Parts: sequence; C-alpha cells; structure tokens
Amino acid sequence: MALATEKAGFKQLAVEDFRITEEPYYLPISDEVELFETAYRERVPVLLKGPTGAGKTRFVEYMSWRLHNRDGRGHEEGVPLITVACHEDLTASDLVGRYLLEGDETRWIDGPIARAVKNGAICYLDEIVEARKDTTVLIHPLTDYRRLLPLEKRGELLEAADGFLLVMSYNPGYQSALKDLKHSTRQRFIAIEFDYPPRDQEAQIIAKESGVDPAIAAELAKLGEKVRNLKEHGLGEGVSTRLLVYAAKLIRDGISPRRACQVSVVWALTDDLEVQRSIEEVVSSIFE
Amino acid sequence: MTRATDLSLRFATELRGYGASLPDDFLAAANSLEPRLAPEDLDAWAQAGIDLAASSLRAWEAAAEYFRASPQVVDQLGAQGIRDWAGIAASLSQRSSLMAAAFLKSTPEVLRGIRPDEIDAWSQQGDRLCRGNWKSIALSSLYFQVSPALLRNMSLEAAGRVVDIVDSLTERSYELATTCMETAPSIFDALPLADREPFLRFARAVARASWADIRLYFERGPRLIEGIAPPERSRYLDLSARVTSEVGRQGFPLFADAAQAMGSMPIELHSALLTFADRLSVGSPTAAMEYLKSAPFVSSRLTPEQMERWAQAGSNILNVEHNPEGAEAYFRLESARAEEMLASLSARVELGNVDQLLRMYAQALAGQPVAVMSAESLVDRNIGWVTESSATTEGNSIYLPPYVATFEDQDANFQVYKVFTTHQTGRMEFGSFVYRFGPGGEHTPGTVVAREERIQTERAERVAIAGAEVRDAVAPVTSMQRYFNMFDERTLILGLFTIAEDTRIDARTGREYGGIRRWLQILQEHEAKHRPLIEMMGLRQAFMENLLRSSLGVPETMRWPQSLTEYLRRAIAALKVVELPDATVQDSAEVAAALYDIAIAIPNVSEAFADGKFEPLSEDMYSIAPGMPGEGEGQPNGMPGGEELEFENPPQPEFRGDFKPELVQLMSKLKAQKDGSDDGPTAPLTKEQLMELLQNSAEISLGEWSEGDLDASLGAFLENIEQEAAKPAGDQKQSDQADGGDTPDGGKGDGGESDLKPEIDWFYYDEWDFRASDYRPRWTRVGERFSEQGDGEFYQETLRKYHGLVMETRRQFELMRPESFKKIKRLEDGDELDLDLAIEFHVDKKAGVGPQARIYSRRNKVERDVAVAFLLDMSASTDEEIEKQRQPYDSNDKDDFDGDPRKYFQWLAARRAKNAIEPPKRIIDLEKESTVLIVEALEAIGDSYGIFGFSGYGRDNVEFHVIKNLDEQMSDSVRRRIDKIEPIRSTRMGPAIRHTIHKLDEHDAKVKILILVSDGRPQDHGYGRDRTEKEYAVHDTKQALLEAKRKGITPFLITVDKEGHDYLKQMCDDIGYEVVDDLETLPRRLPTLYRHLASE
Repeated sequence: MALATEKAGFKQLAVEDFRITEEPYYLPISDEVELFETAYRERVPVLLKGPTGAGKTRFVEYMSWRLHNRDGRGHEEGVPLITVACHEDLTASDLVGRYLLEGDETRWIDGPIARAVKNGAICYLDEIVEARKDTTVLIHPLTDYRRLLPLEKRGELLEAADGFLLVMSYNPGYQSALKDLKHSTRQRFIAIEFDYPPRDQEAQIIAKESGVDPAIAAELAKLGEKVRNLKEHGLGEGVSTRLLVYAAKLIRDGISPRRACQVSVVWALTDDLEVQRSIEEVVSSIFE
Repeated sequence: MTRATDLSLRFATELRGYGASLPDDFLAAANSLEPRLAPEDLDAWAQAGIDLAASSLRAWEAAAEYFRASPQVVDQLGAQGIRDWAGIAASLSQRSSLMAAAFLKSTPEVLRGIRPDEIDAWSQQGDRLCRGNWKSIALSSLYFQVSPALLRNMSLEAAGRVVDIVDSLTERSYELATTCMETAPSIFDALPLADREPFLRFARAVARASWADIRLYFERGPRLIEGIAPPERSRYLDLSARVTSEVGRQGFPLFADAAQAMGSMPIELHSALLTFADRLSVGSPTAAMEYLKSAPFVSSRLTPEQMERWAQAGSNILNVEHNPEGAEAYFRLESARAEEMLASLSARVELGNVDQLLRMYAQALAGQPVAVMSAESLVDRNIGWVTESSATTEGNSIYLPPYVATFEDQDANFQVYKVFTTHQTGRMEFGSFVYRFGPGGEHTPGTVVAREERIQTERAERVAIAGAEVRDAVAPVTSMQRYFNMFDERTLILGLFTIAEDTRIDARTGREYGGIRRWLQILQEHEAKHRPLIEMMGLRQAFMENLLRSSLGVPETMRWPQSLTEYLRRAIAALKVVELPDATVQDSAEVAAALYDIAIAIPNVSEAFADGKFEPLSEDMYSIAPGMPGEGEGQPNGMPGGEELEFENPPQPEFRGDFKPELVQLMSKLKAQKDGSDDGPTAPLTKEQLMELLQNSAEISLGEWSEGDLDASLGAFLENIEQEAAKPAGDQKQSDQADGGDTPDGGKGDGGESDLKPEIDWFYYDEWDFRASDYRPRWTRVGERFSEQGDGEFYQETLRKYHGLVMETRRQFELMRPESFKKIKRLEDGDELDLDLAIEFHVDKKAGVGPQARIYSRRNKVERDVAVAFLLDMSASTDEEIEKQRQPYDSNDKDDFDGDPRKYFQWLAARRAKNAIEPPKRIIDLEKESTVLIVEALEAIGDSYGIFGFSGYGRDNVEFHVIKNLDEQMSDSVRRRIDKIEPIRSTRMGPAIRHTIHKLDEHDAKVKILILVSDGRPQDHGYGRDRTEKEYAVHDTKQALLEAKRKGITPFLITVDKEGHDYLKQMCDDIGYEVVDDLETLPRRLPTLYRHLASE
C-alpha cells in the first residue's frame, strides 16, 4: 500500500516504507549493539529499559540501519522501522487495524503492527507502559515461537515475515503501581538497560550532536552529571542527554550558556521553584 | 530666774504627768526660745505645747517633738508662724498624735525645701491620706516622715502628686501604698531633676490602669529609663502614660520591654524612634510600643534608611488600611507581611531561608546525600567543633553560619553562602578525607613511609638517651592520625596540611566550576583585606600567614624579611604543586610535610629579633613555578635567634571554614565499624587507642576542659562521637530511620519499632490572624510522629461487633468501584465500528428513514483516583461519655422511682453493674469504631487513604499522629495504631489541617478529600486573645479549610457537638459540614458521607 507522495514542503509515506537511510549517530556505551544484533538474529524480542532521553529510540534507529547493512544486503536502506508511541488511549484496534466506512462499504485498514508483521519490520513500541493493559496482551502471540498476529475481526491469522521483531521501550523511572508492566508481558523480552552515558562519552555525544565546542560540551556533561545527583532528592528524573544536546545547540547558536541551560535544562526539568533555583545555582557555578 | 525656768516651774506638774523627758525637753526649748520670742509669745508657745500634750492619751509624744523642733523653726516661722504651726499640729493630733508627732518632727528639715507659708498645704497632703483607720494613720505619718527626703528633691506640688498616687493605691492595698511611700524618696533622689515630673505622670497612669505594677515600676522604672537619651525620656514616659491609659494592664510590660529595647539602640536614634512612635500612637498606642520593642531586632538587619521604609509600611497598615490590629502584629513581627518586608529589605541572608536550596545544590555537586545545617547545631553536639560562625563539614553534612551579612546586598551574601557550600562540598567531592598513609600523589613521590621509619628511630634513640622507659606505642586509628603522629609540632603540621588542602580545593573548585571562580576571588580578596597584621606575628607564624596569602591569590600583601626570601620562595613553590590539575589529598600531605621541614627550622621570634624587617616582596615572587624542594635543600640556615613567641596558626579564612580531617576520619572509621563495612582489620578499636587520638589531636582545643577531669571529659566527648557515628549518614529526611541503637545491623525486627521512642518530624505553619488580616509567619510547630501501637484485638473486636454493618458498607462501596473498561455504544465518533449498528444505519438510509449515524463504539476508561485523609480530633474532650452527653438524667427512669429510695438504689446498682460489664462509650471510642469501618470499606474500594489524629498543647507543640499514611499499605501495625487513638489535650485545628493539606498535596490523585472528625470547636492555649475567645480559632480554622480548597482538596467537617451549628456556619461558609446528632450513628454515617463526597 505504498502511497508515497511528495508535495511541496512535506513528504508523506506509508509507515512500512520508512527506512533509515543515513547512519544515525550512536555512541555505544557497552555491549548493547552486539546484544541487539544477536537478539535480532535469534528473533528474540527486546525490551529497552532506561530513563527518558538516554538514547533508546536513537539506538533502535541505529540498529535498524546497521542490521541491514550488516546483513550484507548491501544497500543504504535499513530494515523498516515502525514506531508506535504508546499512550493511555491506545486501543487494540489502533495497533492491529480496524474497519472504516468508505462510501457504502466498509474497508479494513491495517494497524502499524499488522503492517510491521507483513513487511518484516522492526516494530518499536515506545513507552509501552503507557498503553492500556488489554492492548499489551495482544502482542503476546507475536513474541514467542508462534510469531502470529490474530486479526479477530477478520478471522485471520497473520504470520510474521522473516525480518519482523518486536522492540519495546520502558521507563522504570516513573514506575507507579498503576503503570507497571505485566509479568506475562515482560517475561517475553530480553531487557537491555540504558542509562545516561558517563561524563566523557556524554560530552562526546553532545559535541557531535550539536556541533558545539568540545569544552562547552564537557561542561554540559558535567552539569548533566551533577543534576542527576538530585534524582529522587527533588527531581523525579535526571536531565536527559537530549536536553543537554538542546542546550548545546542553543549555545552554539549564540545564546549565553546560563540562559541556554535555564531554558533547556532547569525549566524543562521541574516546576518546583526551589529545585529550579538549586539547579540554576549549579549551572551558574559551572558556567561563567 | 529666767522666764524659761519660770515657765517650767509653772507647768512642772502638767509636764511631769507625761514621760520622764518631757520637762527637760520643755526647759531646753524654752531656754533656747527665750531670747527670740516676746514674753507673751513665749507664754503662748508654752501653753500650746501643754495643750497639745493634754489633747489625748499619747499626745505627749507629739508635744515632745513640738518642744524639740520649735527652736529649729522659730527663726523661719516667727511668733505667728509658730502659733499657726502649733494649731496645725493640734488639729492633726485630734486625728492621731502619731501623725502630729511625725509632722512636728519633720518640720525643721522640711522647711529647707518649702516656704513657711506652704506648711499648711504640706500638712494637708499628709492629712489627706488619713481616713481614720490605723493603716491610713500609719501611712499619713509615714508621709510626714519621708517628707524631708522627698521635698529635698521635688516641689510641694510634685510631692502632692506622689500623695495622689499613693492615695489611689490605698483603695487596693495599704501594704503596696506603704511600700511605695517608703521607696519614693530614694527613687526621686536617684532620678535626674528633669525626669521627675514625667516619671510621676506615668506613675499616675500606671496606678490607675494597673495598680499592681506600680511597685515594679518604682523598683525598675528609674533603671529602665536610664537607657533612654535624657532629652527623650519625658517624651517616652508620656507616650507610655498614654498607652497605659488605653491598654490598661498591658501598659507596664510594654513600657518595660520597649524601654529595654530602646536602651539597646544607639542613643542618637532615640529621638527619631520616638517621633515615629508618637505618630503611631495616635492610631494605636500598642503599635507604637511594639515598634519600639522590635527596633533593635529590625535595626540589626536593616540600615536606618531601610528601617524607615520598613516602619512606613507598617504605618500604612495603620493609617491607610485602618487596621490597628494588623499594624500591631506587623510591628510585633508576628505577621507575614512584616517578615517579607524585612527579608526583602535586608541584605542579610538567613540560613533558614536558603538551606533547602543549598542542600540540593551541595547534593548535586557532591553526588551523595548531604544535609545542610546550622553550625550551631554541630557545636551543640560537642564532637569537637566549637565555632558557631564558620562553615565546616564532618564528612556527611555541611554546617554553615546561621546568617551571612558580609556584603550590603542580598545577592552577594547569598553568593557567600554558595562559596562556603562549594568549598565544603569540595572537601567531599575532591576527597579531602580519604587520605591513605603511604602512597604519594599525582605530582609528588610518597615519602611518608621513609619519614615514619626515620622518626621512629630518632624517637627511640631519644628515649634511650633519656633512659626513660619505652612506652608501647598505641597503634594509630586512622591514616590521618598516623600521618600527624610523625610530627612533633602537631599544631604546625595541622596548619600546614590545612593550608595545602584548602589551596588544592580552591584550585580544583575554580577549575571545575568556572562560574563560581568570580565569587571565590571576591571572597579571597575580601579575606585578604581582613587578615591580621603580619608585623605583629612571630617569624614562623608570619611564614604561615604568607603561605596563606599566596594561596589566597594576593601575593602583593605578603611581608617577609628580605634575607630569608629563599625559604619562602621554596615553600610557595611547594604549595603551588597542589594547585596543579589532578592533585590529590596525597599531594597535599606530601607538600605539607615538605613545608613542615622548612617551617620547623624557622624560629617564631618577633619582628624585632627577626633578621630584617617584614617587607613586601619583589614581583618575581608573585609567579613562582610549582616545584617540591630538592634533597638537602630543606634545611634553612642563618636563622635569627632570640626569645620565641608562642606559636599558633594564623586564623582560617572565613570562606574556607574549619577543617578537622583527623576527627572526620575517626568518625567515618567508627561508622564503618558499626556498619560492619570496614574493610580493614576487624579488630575493634580500643578505648585506649581512641583516647590517644583525642588527646594528641590538634583539632580539639583542650582549653575547654579543666585539666583535672581531662579523662572524664575526653570520655564524655568520645561517647558523643561514637553516638554520632551510629547515626545514619546524610539527608535529614533519613533521620527518621531512627538510630539503630542496640539492634544489630540488618535486624530491623517487627518488635523494633515499638521499642524506640517515636521519631518526631517537625513542620512549621503560618497561622491566620483575622484581626491583622495577615498570617503569623511560622507560628505553629507541628510534630508528626507515628502513633504508638496498641492491641490489635480492638480492631477484630469491632469487626465482630459490627459484622452486619461491615458487610453492608463493604457491599455499598464495592458498587462504587468503576467498571474499568465500559463499552459505550452509539457514538458519532469512536474507536471501533459497530457492525450491527452500521448495517442498521445502512438499512435505514436505504429505506429513507432519518439516518442515525451513531455507529461507533468506544471503550471508556473510567479511573477512580481518590485520596482521602481522615483527621481525627484527639482532644481531651473526646474522653467524655456519650450517655452523659445525651441525657444527664434518664428522665423516664427517674419517674419510676416514685420517691422510693430503694427503687433508686436498685436502679443505680443495675446501672453500675451494666457499666462494669460494658464501660460507657466515649466519643473517642466512636471515632475509633468509625475508623475501623471506614478502613474496611476503603480497602474494598481501593482508594488511597490516610488516617491521622491531632492534639497538642500550645502553638509550638501541635501533635500530629500518623495512624496510616496515604501511601502506606494496610498492615497489622496500622490496626494496632488504631487502638492507640486516645484523648490527649487541646484542639488546634488550623495547623493540623494545614499539615494534612501538605500531605494530600504531595500525594498524586485526581480527587482529594479531607474529612475532619471533631467533637467541638477549635481551642487551644494561646489560640485566641484569651481562653474564652473563640473568634480567633474559628477564623484560623476557616482559613485553613479555604487553603485546602485552594489546593483542590475538598474539605468536610463532621462534628458531634450539638451546639456545632453556630460556629460551623461561620467556620465553613460554603464548605460542607454535618452535625451528627445521634452519636451512635457516626459509624454508620461516616461511610455514607464518604460515598457522597468521593463520587461528587
């Protein structure tokens, strides 16, 4: 169902046609690349755990690009990657597909999972805990040896294409009793833990992503480390690498470092005035 | 024969009738008067005396005084005067001879102060006090007795006023009046002339408005007004008089406090203060006095100009808003506005306002939980730190001075705090306390091991030479101690190590935190300006001071003899080594050791002996390259000789604060041992070892202990340290984990909780003063603690008793539970297409029937997200029995007695027996039972709920008992705690509500409800102007409830007080409340109400 159209200003394409064509920047911190490759080879579903902005999504993108090139299929294009951002109103039909009315007829539209299954794509369910529990159950048959997706309404079973793999991400940070993953779900995945990179590597990432001066990047990484010390002592979550990169980008474009950190770190992180001031003091200690 | 002897013979018989000395007195007087009076006048004089003596039984005493005084007064009074005088005496004598005698006796001396023609007025003053009874006669006589002294210092008119005051006191207490009369002369004697009249004016006001205070005023008044500028005293006293006449008994305390306050203010400000107070007094006399009382505190924080602005704001409350009560609270510093104003004007930064901020800041930097506390609290713990005003750390927490007022700008002072904090955090972050004996640093080779060997050999040799017994060396406890042990001059090495380590920390901080560098420099320069004079120091101390100045980055302030420049150069070069990147504490130790070798050779002689004057150094000394002294270079020679001064380290720069590495290492060692996480040899430290360390450590000044009981003091001290080590580290919040005490690590058994005293967390809340229309800042202190645990049986018992009711409420509540994913059909838009409906629609459309395009369905997620807090009144009044409340006498029963006592006794016995089996139910019991029921019901529905009780006494001790926290799981402990809900003391509702709000606010839920169950109106000691006032408490409670609403919490009040309607109407406004008439329905009613509230 490729309906790629190119109009002035934007590009519209079917989800399964989306491919990562350029190598995304990803700095491996540990053996996660190797693990993921092996898992993919064995078609073992993967759960990426870690705080927000630690690079989970980037990692999946990178892997989708890399896997394809690795496999020697030798093109610039990677394995298709279909990403679904989960939210609390995400229903089963949102994922699998639904009937729509068209004229006097009903028409079946495949949901993203069905498309991934058909096209052998990596299906990436971002922030899976946000999705309703009844929704998460429907992926179970896809994650074991069966690799099947039942389409109840159509009375069909979809067998996953060879390249298909289910990847989910999950942030244990704001784990509450309400938003925990069912055991029956979580025990179907291998879990790769993500955390913010160590200071030096983070500085490298910041510099690379934003093009800012390495010295500034190092200071930002230092700031990141310090602010993360406040996690659970005022902050629910440490500052993400993503935010630090934003700050770096602002600095690169001429915003003063203190101001850049204020808008992209301090205010982005918390609304608590006291915590804000504390972090601002850390910022003003690091940046002149 | 003279006329005198003639007269005495004539009256001999009359005179002899009264006392033995009367004839002699008569003769002496007559002899003396004879030359000065005409014969007929003398006769008249004598006759008057005789008449006086005869006028009453003891009148001869008055006559004797008459005779004795006459010669002294005759010249002033003249013949006629004497006659009048005698006449007055005679009429006084008719009331009491005592009065007459006192009058006559005092006259000669009194006449030094008043004119003869004033005698009559004077006598009348005394006469006025006499009311015929003996007390008044004594007082009147007393007046005549003290008159000479009194009139020496004041006019007759003024004395008349004293009489007025004393007279007015007689209505209350003769004793008090007498005392005042007695002391009056000495008081006025001491008072400067100009102050007497105003002093009296105020005295009159006090006597009228609060007579009981007059003695205090007489006793203390003169001393109190001494502190006030002399020209202003009368104004102050008049102001006080005005105030007193308005406020009555509060007047004198206000006067005393304000006078004291003024006494502590610079005298030149008094005029301005009083002018302002005078102006305030027009609208509110109390505000004027409160203003004066607060002046010292306010002026300690504000400049005079700022203070004026502060006062003006208060004056506006009075004169623009016409709110005298508000102004009074403002000037009493009991209003939020006053504090805010003060804080915004003042440059001074209080630790209390920034400690949380600094705590998070420090924690971010250090990467470990850090508490920020006032240095005062560290001193109180007596573990070796003694200065309250300097920043320091004991390895886990940062201690800061209670306030900073170094600069005239709030922001700058905050930056000072920040530099303090950063430096102390730096000690943690950059490892000042992790010194390990042995290895060298990044830039220095390790020399300490070789040094230790050398020193030990040397010491052994020395001991051998002295022939002394070789004492077994006690093994050192910590690396730091072992390091310090190598040096004979411990003070010196501690000083050098401190300089080296602080220099390293400063350099490192500057490198890591570019943003703070500027303020670090400002403080270094500020510090440099306040260093002591080098010229006053001994040579060795000067050497240290120069190192310090070099490390502060102000080499231009160094002063040193030219001829010894080389030593200093070498020392500075060594010190610069620690400023190199990556230098560690090991480097600092090596550098300090090298510096020691240089310093120890420098005698601490004063400048006069030193070789050459202290001079500024040449500029090439400003930029010395880092480098350790080479071999053999260390020993300086050509040192000056002479008498040495006692050596002490130069004072620590303020921003670096106290540094006690040896103690910190000791404490962490002790702690590690307690935790069992000590990786060293596991042999426990002996007391001997510890005592050895403490005795030798230069970080503890032994001066504080008397020499005699040194061992005892050290022992106590050691205990403190050990206790300290037993506490859990860091974050204050963790302190409620209760120190493990005797329970071994890890073994936090269930029984452990009840053994420990409950830990109390304190919270502070404002209180609403409706008169001032303002909050009283941090007025109440709420102590939160877990309720004690009682018997779980009560819970089970209640469940059994109310079995049916429990089942019923559970069922009702279960009905409330939302069906989680209810499918809603017939929607115009939705997730799914309902095929049946779609076909129907299609058919309808084809058939031409008006189509209903509602063909979608959606699963709706209904989430129940309710948090409820029950706040139970645990005041003493809940102890009341319900029967009693309901009906004092059972009227039906009473009628049955028919006046037959036997029936009555039967009834009484039956009643007693019943009570014995089933004790009368109290309000609190119902509260408890209701709690059980609601707990059961809530468990069924799954809402998060908290149960709290409150009571207490006074504003700084509001007890807040946690029976179940909002996020706590239901457990056996909770059931036991419910049993311990019992009546305690008062009902200060406001703070309890505020604390509950705080708890609900921290909890994440869509619907939040606060249900307050009480048995009556709020009341507490000081919860209102006096015990009977209810307004204040009601208003504060209302305000607290409004605060709840503002936070999105639905408050609801349930009271069992039948008179509740009147104040509840006022208190609750549009807040829901219910008066439960029939108490026993409470357990039934509460769940029903809850259902109502939670489903709204």
